[in-house]
Amino acid sequence: MNVVMTQLAFNILITFSIYLTISVSFMNIYCCAKFFNFTHAIIITISAYFVFTFSKQLNFPIWLSVLLSVTFSIILAVCLEQFIFKLLRKRNKNTFELLVASLGLYICFQNLISLIWGDDTKSITSENVNIGYSLLGAYITKIQVIIIFVTIALSIGTIILINKTNFGRKCKAIYSNEQLANIFGIDTNLIIIWSVIIGSGTSSIVGILMAYDIGMNPAFGFNLLLYSIVAMIIGGVGKMKGLIAGSLLLATAQHLGAYYTDSKWLDTITYIILILFLIWKPLGFSGIRIKKIEL
Amino acid sequence: MAYIIHVAIIIMFYVMLSQSLTLTAGYSRLISLAHAGFFGIGAYTSAILSVNYGTSFLLSLALALIISAIIGVFVSVIALRSVDDYFIIITMGIQVIAFSIMNNWMQLTNGPLGISGIPSISILGIDLSNKISFLLLTLFFTLIVFFLLRNITKSPFCKILIGLSEDEIFTESLGKKVYLSKVISFTIGGMFAAVPGVLYAHYLSYIDPSSFTMNESIFILSIVIIGGMRNLLGSAIAACLLIIFPELLKFLGMSFDKAANIRQIIYGVFLVMIMFNNNLLSVSKNFKFLKIIIRRKEIRTK
Repeated sequence: MNVVMTQLAFNILITFSIYLTISVSFMNIYCCAKFFNFTHAIIITISAYFVFTFSKQLNFPIWLSVLLSVTFSIILAVCLEQFIFKLLRKRNKNTFELLVASLGLYICFQNLISLIWGDDTKSITSENVNIGYSLLGAYITKIQVIIIFVTIALSIGTIILINKTNFGRKCKAIYSNEQLANIFGIDTNLIIIWSVIIGSGTSSIVGILMAYDIGMNPAFGFNLLLYSIVAMIIGGVGKMKGLIAGSLLLATAQHLGAYYTDSKWLDTITYIILILFLIWKPLGFSGIRIKKIEL
Repeated sequence: MAYIIHVAIIIMFYVMLSQSLTLTAGYSRLISLAHAGFFGIGAYTSAILSVNYGTSFLLSLALALIISAIIGVFVSVIALRSVDDYFIIITMGIQVIAFSIMNNWMQLTNGPLGISGIPSISILGIDLSNKISFLLLTLFFTLIVFFLLRNITKSPFCKILIGLSEDEIFTESLGKKVYLSKVISFTIGGMFAAVPGVLYAHYLSYIDPSSFTMNESIFILSIVIIGGMRNLLGSAIAACLLIIFPELLKFLGMSFDKAANIRQIIYGVFLVMIMFNNNLLSVSKNFKFLKIIIRRKEIRTK
């Protein structure tokens, strides 16, 4: 029983760190651009497929293919931002229209991916499945250790970037009052592009690591992003502590729920938590009032 | 010929679905991504009732309407605690829950294997198993749904919906019950979405959860958006376009999987283009635009 609990704790830690990284990067973009950008899911997915192409089909070394795919994903994200969302924003479209456009782009790219690479679940690693290291009776693979360290480092880095640096303050300024920030000489577009670069860079690394761990299919980025959005809403937008608490709660609930009932009810558990939160605590853990829910 | 009738029936299902979503998403601006869930609720209710209990078509239709209305009230009371993007995310969550119940509750829905052997429709002893009579029946229901929705959208109640979509607090200050109106509009949308669900189950005589996924919801929403949000006829035209166009691709010798992918890419591109230019497919406005261009050319030539 104790061994099972340790294993569960490890799994919760891995899931928590993944959700935390993606929701931190997503929230950074959300705060600046003020809409749910579903193309973020494309970045997560396509980076893994780029690595697949480079390392398996073109036989590049792993470090080069990871570097190339992260670069390409960032370029793709910036292109989408520059050529679609910036133009839409110039035409004074509201957040709903931007969201629908991002949903449309997501559908396009997801189907492009399944046209190019196929619908089946692919794996990047050529190694055989091994049980990995034994730690306190629980088993943890090499890639999972890498996931924990890399994702926690990335999320701490992003949190420091948002909380301590000049860039983060500019993001917060745009989040709280865009016009006033513009008066003080903060360029909204530049900040959005930088947050897109940082966010898509971190989340593409997470996507690659996830693909190394459990394989990939064209929809895995979207599921991951939806869980992270749920974690973000549970935690409450705007505060990092809330985000950490939200991802931790979601990861714990998912793993315990999957352990005590069945893993097929994972989605149901996730969204029931979301709905319960919106009924009892609509502002999330941090309780910051945002205009979306106040009304 | 049988193929054309099949396509026509499918188009009418989507016309009903998109028109019912027009009331919710268009008039009251409650962008719901749970519509395929209601479609599925109708289909599954009717299928379970008629396979397990042998109920007649009309009874199962009535029960499906009642059940989807109850679920609609329940869902809208939960989802209406939030607005805008958060509302979309919550309805998305409800769609995922509905799908996972259909997919995983083996005892009730038989899981991913689906329910087979759903009997064909017979009303008052008249058998409607052949395709042409089914086409007429679907046409009848489409017209009923269209007629009811048109009357609702022309009624004073719909003015409240338009008002609350523009300015909620102002509408409330006029003494209108905003929350109740939202719940009613969401519920009516869900109820009407159950009608094509019931017909769909009896038409194919086999249903499985893969027909009621989130992508289906996005597809229905994109029909409504492409049709022009508050335009019942427009969404009917958009449904025709978005279904006939990919069907044509099949004649070019494309395999089924690739055709499905290309269908989705097409409506994704359409969605992005519509966001750039709202009147892209709106026939009347484009006609005016053309007239203006022609007139300018005439003036120039003079």
